[in-house]
Amino acid sequence: MAATLAARDRRFGQLMAAPGLAALLLVIVFPILFTLYTSAFDFTLINPRHDTFVGFAHYARAFGLAEFGNALLVTLWFVVAVVVLEFAVGFLVALMLNAVERGKAVYYAILLCPLLINPVVVGLIWRMFLHPELGIANYVLGLVGLGPVNWLGDPRNAFWTLVVVDIWHQVSFMIVLLLAGLASLPKEPYEAARMEGAGTLACFWHVTLPLMRPVILVTLLIRLIFAVRTYDLVYIMTRGGPGQATDLVSYFIYRQAFVGLNIGQASALAVLLLLIVLVLTAWLYRHMRSLV
Amino acid sequence: MRKLLLGTTILGLGFGAAEAQTLNILMESVPDTRFVEELLPEFEAATGIDVELEVVNYAEMHTKLVPQLVSPTGSYDVIVVDFYWVGEFAKAGWLQPLDERIAADGFDTSVYFDSLQDLVGQVDGEQLMLPFYNYAMGLTYRHDLLEDPAEQAAFKEKYGIELRVPETWDEYLQQVEFFTRDTDGDGKNDFFGVVNQGLRPDPIAMEWSNYLFANGGRFHDESWQPMLDSPEAVKAVEDYKRNLEEFGPLGAASFGFDEAFNVAAQGKAYSYLTYNMFRTAYDDPSQSAVVDKMEIVAVPNGGLNGAWGWAIPNSSPDPDAAWTFLKWVESPEIAKKRAMLGGSPTRKDVFADEEVLAKYPYYPALENLLATSHNFPVFTYTPQFVEVLGRELSLAVTGEKTAEEAMQTANAELEALLKQDGKL
Repeated sequence: MAATLAARDRRFGQLMAAPGLAALLLVIVFPILFTLYTSAFDFTLINPRHDTFVGFAHYARAFGLAEFGNALLVTLWFVVAVVVLEFAVGFLVALMLNAVERGKAVYYAILLCPLLINPVVVGLIWRMFLHPELGIANYVLGLVGLGPVNWLGDPRNAFWTLVVVDIWHQVSFMIVLLLAGLASLPKEPYEAARMEGAGTLACFWHVTLPLMRPVILVTLLIRLIFAVRTYDLVYIMTRGGPGQATDLVSYFIYRQAFVGLNIGQASALAVLLLLIVLVLTAWLYRHMRSLV
Repeated sequence: MRKLLLGTTILGLGFGAAEAQTLNILMESVPDTRFVEELLPEFEAATGIDVELEVVNYAEMHTKLVPQLVSPTGSYDVIVVDFYWVGEFAKAGWLQPLDERIAADGFDTSVYFDSLQDLVGQVDGEQLMLPFYNYAMGLTYRHDLLEDPAEQAAFKEKYGIELRVPETWDEYLQQVEFFTRDTDGDGKNDFFGVVNQGLRPDPIAMEWSNYLFANGGRFHDESWQPMLDSPEAVKAVEDYKRNLEEFGPLGAASFGFDEAFNVAAQGKAYSYLTYNMFRTAYDDPSQSAVVDKMEIVAVPNGGLNGAWGWAIPNSSPDPDAAWTFLKWVESPEIAKKRAMLGGSPTRKDVFADEEVLAKYPYYPALENLLATSHNFPVFTYTPQFVEVLGRELSLAVTGEKTAEEAMQTANAELEALLKQDGKL
């Protein structure tokens, strides 16, 4: 009797999950398979048909594209920079906020503001702020005798400007997730540690960090995947320039598809990017789990 | 639930029928679009056809258009086509030829400038578009400074020639150097001889094309053989880099046209080589501090031509109503009214109209821009070539490549694209 009940429960569960799974299949698996399929054809928007099979030619060509290699490299640096910096800043702010007793909602509201703004708008606002002659950033620096800084017109500056704007925009995502993790930590281990004479740092190192590991892992993973996909900011702020200093890979793939109209080639690049992200995610996941 | 769905569908169909006479048009947010919008009530009153304008930023247009053009029935009845999409759109067969409609209605296309017919009118003898407005580039400069006797004397003393509206490229480069100065004595230049639009890809590629033509260079010869590795092209890159670095404001390597225009409009630059529609904007006190101080002239040797054309896509749901609109908007009366509002005409009769000339005394200068301008290479892969050119120029400007290296790469990639297109 109990077994049949369990079986019926399971069947009911499957039934309830089926529509969701079907929807997922439709919107995730189908596009991925379609992209894989398209990447093996000479499919362009001028001739949008799967009529010329080219096999792995698009993949072979991708490895020969110096621009693609450069874009991957720029993206790697960008992702490392924003994930590491946002994590550092985000964790610090989350720890501070966790200690706040009153007015948490106010801090939340302020911190969440940037996250709620559309990336295109963020890019446009910052472009105005950072105009070297007419923008407010250099004006304020000028008041204290600094600058003027060539924010977006110099390759090295432009890269870091982009990183900083991304941090401004996305760091609250880290804060919110980490803060949720901190708030749910049990109190007992801390009390025990204090009894044993552990200081604030020791508490952080030996209690908070180990307990937070799953949350940190998820936060880093999500942020990493989002960072690889960064496209809007570059599109609005630098168009990949000056030179090739901010040519992120997602923007490069976009250009292959919508400027070059070469959907086949763009699909191949997108598949390669997907593989890279998958490998990175798997590696990070295992690495973080193995840390004790 | 099913009833509800059915009901909505029927409602939807009902609305569809009631709105059959609605024209949907995708346009870019530029002054001429605004002027067309102002005139639309006249069209709606005359024909009973409602017009829905969807106005978006240039950057979004191509991305929005292509999926609509690929599908059998799109959502736009009429579209506007930038000259550098023409090759691509024609090759893909996305536009309806207009010749039969033109012949049937006796629409006169001889009023358009030949250079505009070449650019955004005919492709291989077929009329695919009607030229809408032109954005040929010209040299905008501070005529108040140019006419200042003190400046004239100082210039003559330094260079041994008169300070006048530049007729040669070298003369212009000297003026750029001459007017760059530190007015408040803090050791940094704060008034600039020129402001450049160095953003990738189209701002820098379009602006630099003027430098190429001014130096006597060309993109390709009569048989499409690329000529970007010529000494003229290399010199054009060097001129551009020197202007941007030594005589322009900080950050010009990242400026789009709006940012560059703002520098000029705030009275911080002597000159800005730009699209002719900005000539009108300089005289608008709400966005300019140099009202009545700027003038426009053709770039020595002729600058870059540019234009948009009206077209009816093959995916147009209602091509007949679309043609009714095209006939109306390109009629002499409406074209003139648009010019009177400050638009950029493409018809010779509008340029010759006395009322228009009385209101805008600089229109002969604009006509001269058109007459002397050169066209950008238009072929299937023009957008890709703009990307390549923009990237290489930006690399040269930031010093990551020499001018020669950049031009050699641009030349090789132009050649590859031309071969891919069967032009070579």
